[in-house]
Amino acid sequence: MLPSTFEDYLEAILTITENGGRAATLDEIAAALDTGKEAAGTTVAALVEGGYLERADGGAVRLTGQGLSVASQVARKHRVLQCFLTEMLGVDEDAASKEACTLEHGISDETIDRLSSYMDGAQSPPGRMGRCRGRDCTLLDCKEGDTVRVAMMHGQRRHRRLLDLGIFPGEIVQIRRKLPNESVVVRVKGCDIAISPEIARAIVVESCP
Amino acid sequence: MKFALIGNPSVGKSLIFNQLTGLGVEVSNYPGTTVELQRGNTCFQREIVELVDLPGVYSLDGNSDEEGLVRRFLEQQDVDAVIVVANATRLERNLYLLLQVAEYGLPMVVVLNMADEAAKRGLEIDPGPIHDLLGVEVILTAASQGKNIDRIIPAALAASRPSAVEIPYDHHIEAAIRSLGKMFGADRKESVRALLGFGDNPELLEAARTISDEIEARHRMTVTQIIAANRHNFAHKIADLTLREEVQLPQTDPDSILTRIIPGMPILLGILIGMLLFVFVVGSFLEEMIVEFFDVYAMQPFVALGLPPLAEELGVSILIALQAGLGIAFPYVFLFYIIISILEDSGYMTRAAFLADNAMHRVGMHGGAVIPFTLAFGCNVPAIMSIRLLRSRRERIIASFLVTMVPCSARTVIIAGIVASFVGIAAAFSVYAIVFLLILITGLVLSRVTPGERFGMIMEMVPLRWPDPKLVMKKSWARLSEFLFIAMPLLLAGSIVLGLLDFFGVMTIFEEFVEPYTMALLGLPGYAATALIFGILRKEMAFETLAILADTADLGAVLTSLQLYIFAVVTVLFVPCLATITVLLREVGSRITLAITVYTVTLGLLIGGLIHYLFS
Ligand SMILES: Nc1nc2c(ncn2[C@@H]2O[C@H](COP(=O)(O)OP(=O)(O)O)[C@@H](O)[C@H]2O)c(=O)[nH]1
Ligand SMILES: [Mg+2]
Repeated sequence: MLPSTFEDYLEAILTITENGGRAATLDEIAAALDTGKEAAGTTVAALVEGGYLERADGGAVRLTGQGLSVASQVARKHRVLQCFLTEMLGVDEDAASKEACTLEHGISDETIDRLSSYMDGAQSPPGRMGRCRGRDCTLLDCKEGDTVRVAMMHGQRRHRRLLDLGIFPGEIVQIRRKLPNESVVVRVKGCDIAISPEIARAIVVESCP
Repeated sequence: MKFALIGNPSVGKSLIFNQLTGLGVEVSNYPGTTVELQRGNTCFQREIVELVDLPGVYSLDGNSDEEGLVRRFLEQQDVDAVIVVANATRLERNLYLLLQVAEYGLPMVVVLNMADEAAKRGLEIDPGPIHDLLGVEVILTAASQGKNIDRIIPAALAASRPSAVEIPYDHHIEAAIRSLGKMFGADRKESVRALLGFGDNPELLEAARTISDEIEARHRMTVTQIIAANRHNFAHKIADLTLREEVQLPQTDPDSILTRIIPGMPILLGILIGMLLFVFVVGSFLEEMIVEFFDVYAMQPFVALGLPPLAEELGVSILIALQAGLGIAFPYVFLFYIIISILEDSGYMTRAAFLADNAMHRVGMHGGAVIPFTLAFGCNVPAIMSIRLLRSRRERIIASFLVTMVPCSARTVIIAGIVASFVGIAAAFSVYAIVFLLILITGLVLSRVTPGERFGMIMEMVPLRWPDPKLVMKKSWARLSEFLFIAMPLLLAGSIVLGLLDFFGVMTIFEEFVEPYTMALLGLPGYAATALIFGILRKEMAFETLAILADTADLGAVLTSLQLYIFAVVTVLFVPCLATITVLLREVGSRITLAITVYTVTLGLLIGGLIHYLFS
């Protein structure tokens, strides 16, 4: 893994060059990172050495393929984290951006993937999955008529039968009936399955793409 | 030759079994009807073929009792071929089990049943893809019409090779299968089963566990989930190839009214109360006719013969037993069985289970318990047997207590024959109210004090359909004849013993002995105690015995309304009948059975005493 400063540089260059479309000058880079031109020069030299950047005309640099991939990954982490902090936790925009800058270097790809798909499930469409802010959405958070995708199942040794009836992570199910007392009927594979509330609560869902 | 029928619950296995063997095992439209292996024989070209009807299962890898039973059965490899029955209208889900069975490597035949319903829904089924992919014979049947049933046995006899199908698994699983194969020489089936935690080679299991842990660490899913998902996806593919040209026919969806609180709940209560009212009104009308008929054409001519006293006593005892037996069997028991059979076959039971899930949670069970409760109105014995569909011992214990308290048709006879006829119909319903209240309280208490795990409900809603009147009558008749052949001899013997005891004056001694106690506790004469004791043999005998001992069928003339009411309440609550005790012993063991017996006796005497104390 690269030191976090290096990642910051690559990320900044990605923004300046509009996704690597053009070259960035040392002035631009120093301005974006809020440091002196000299310090920027040293780091840029090290990144060129490492094969993440290549020299272009007039002292400018551009991202190599390797640099581009690292930069986009970091940028994605930043986006996801910032989005999570503002949308789900309600942190204010500026503070979230700063926090994201720190967190983006320590977080694993796997966690970011999960966080991202978790938010996909939780955000769109508004009013549906938005109800379960800050925690996993389960079958109980759905309305009658909703079509959702099973994301995860808790206590699956006890609820083995769900698996055999076709309710497993990745499968799309439709909520056919939900009583005020939270017993639900879901339709899966053309069959209706009645489920008690405590079991429905163990089925984590996300909205369908 | 030995074949086994295997398939999901409610796909028609038992119906096919009955048609092939000519036997009459239970056929009902809800999961959990067949709980044990049923064996029967059929002849084909002068050869005897043994057929086994297995309980319905959704999978071979689950941890329920039925799944274990079927798994052990298949592992013994003690059949020549398996006949996999699938519901053509729910093909994809049924193919999931079919693929598992195919993996077991036994010769097999596939029966796609319910072709009639598939056609009604505009499904066009092409058996070709299943035949090609699995390399087995596929037969399209409609068991309710007997269509193509005759092709099953010849196909099973011809089936000699196991299916060649290989379910394509996720590449991690495939890699695991390969390495387990290399390390232990395990074949594909063994490796997959080892990954799922089944098998009897400890080293293979250990290695499989290590590999599974690794796979699980990398995936977000457990190995069990991955394998299930792969099978489902393959089943989906096959179903897509098999079902063609699905013309969307307009479908009415009765579930849109049946499974909502409104009007679903009122409908559910309406059905329950309607069932009781119907049996009461029509039952007592029919009973009167039968009793009247018997009086005029048997009893009076017999008495007119003027035989010697002992012979007359014996003859009258026999006639009374016959009269009471027939007067009870046809109007009450038969009517109840017809109504319950209709409910069973329509598929409504699973809807009722869903609606009542919440209420049943309050008393420590889940919605599935509605099924034993409904059956209990007919007879407690099958009801106790069906509590197996509850998964934990805790739920079964609670259910066995509550189910034995439900007034069965024999107890309905007492309520109708004693309370409704001599006290009034409102009073009769108040007996039900008391009993239901006690059931509720017992449930609330038991759910607090019974130790053990809770499982919620995961229940397939079976398709709704109009019950076939022929099948309903056949089933009700089969159940009634059981009643006639078990109850009638008991009634006859009991009646004769009573008659003789009475004749020789033994009765009077006993009654004089107990009378002070029964008078003080319940305000009932001594002979009522004798009647109560006979009620343990068969509930309805309490009524009949009371009539014999009182020397008149017009009980209103010798006992007050209050006495009759108390007698009925005590009998209804008092000790489950012998048959119920026997099946309780088998299903929940001697300790619980004893507890139930003691509890119901105490409850009966207590409530009877309380009513006596309050109202006299
Ligand atoms: N319409 C229709 N109903 C059927 C057919 N086969 C069985 N049934 C009904 O399906 C229900 C379940 O049958 P059963 O034999 O108890 O299923 P099992 O659980 O597999 O033993 C019963 O109500 C049968 O009358 C069929 O081919 N067509
Ligand atoms: Mg069956």
